[in-house]
Amino acid sequence: MSEPPSGGPAARHLLGTATLPCGAEVDLLFEQVADGRAADLGAHQRECVHCQAAITELAALWGPVTELAATPVPAPRGLTASVMRQIRVLVRDVWYTLQTTNLGTIRIAARIVAALARDTARLVPGVRVALGRSTDNTPAGLAEHATFQHRHPHAAVGVLGRTAVVDLAVAVTYGNPVHEVAREIQQHVIANLRDHIGLQAVAVNVTVDDVLTHDGQSPAL
Amino acid sequence: MQARSEVGDAYLVARAREGYLDAYEMLVQRHSAMAYRVALRLCGNHHDAQDLAQEALLAAWQNLRRFRDDSSFSTWLYQIVTRRTLNKVTRGRVADSLDLLGDVPGCGMEPAAQAERNLAVDAVTDALAALPFAQRVVVVLHHFEGLSYADVAAVTHSSVPAVRSHLFRARRTLGTKLEEWR
Repeated sequence: MSEPPSGGPAARHLLGTATLPCGAEVDLLFEQVADGRAADLGAHQRECVHCQAAITELAALWGPVTELAATPVPAPRGLTASVMRQIRVLVRDVWYTLQTTNLGTIRIAARIVAALARDTARLVPGVRVALGRSTDNTPAGLAEHATFQHRHPHAAVGVLGRTAVVDLAVAVTYGNPVHEVAREIQQHVIANLRDHIGLQAVAVNVTVDDVLTHDGQSPAL
Repeated sequence: MQARSEVGDAYLVARAREGYLDAYEMLVQRHSAMAYRVALRLCGNHHDAQDLAQEALLAAWQNLRRFRDDSSFSTWLYQIVTRRTLNKVTRGRVADSLDLLGDVPGCGMEPAAQAERNLAVDAVTDALAALPFAQRVVVVLHHFEGLSYADVAAVTHSSVPAVRSHLFRARRTLGTKLEEWR
């Protein structure tokens, strides 16, 4: 065993040197401490008081950094909403006109239709993730593109009137009959869009494109 | 196909590319705290960090088709945040005090202990702010975000030896500053 040092190495002195009397590199010891491995002493370190003293000193020095790094820094409230609001401005919405009466026109943005469809799908047993889409990539969106030039600036009439086409991408829990889950999604979504926003003609395209487990175990697929 | 307990980022990226805004919203929910946190630790100003996080998340969406599937979405977002923060810092904006714990409650600490803790936090954040940007980036990504050397190298378009070299120098500088504070 090495001779004990006459006093604990002051950090300032320690940081000003490249190696300890035993030959250990200070940078490597500092790396060990800063990476949270101060207690993982190697064979030499278990016998060397120089190394042990240096590790203790460096751990005390680095402690506030470790503490700060462990302090949660939550995202500011509203950050996600703000980002998505900006994105929705960039994505031109497709509008569905539901009714034109002597009182005026009722319009509902496609993303509202998609969100309602998505939330309905998420309630169907076996569904783990449901994503709704009713924008440019849908048949409704393509039709909207084709007729965009003909829209009256204040009418914003959706070309499909009371008809909605909603795409849903769905991940289901492993073990559920996928086709039955998909059919149930279609039925629930169609009923909910009819009941809640009056859409009568609704096509719901369901794509099941992932399978998830409850416990993270991977089934043999 | 591999089943998991949650959909992965790659799945959400693929759906977002197909036009599912919901998918991108889930990515934003997962990663907005990281984007803000890294920007805050690099630029040291809450308002700038919030703007940078927003800009980075918006830029990621606008460039989603350019995202290469051979890296992770988080690595790509780290790249965008650090690059944008570097741009802001080098435009001459002087960082305010790095008040990283401004909104964090004191966890029931006694006032004296809280005051001492705040001094330690100030010392670390001041020392961090004084580091050259390249060293600050590797310290934040490795020691604060927990990225491996290889991941830090990927984010910074650098090499593992270069990352280690920056970290050695940064730790010595931080250690010296912290020793002066003690």
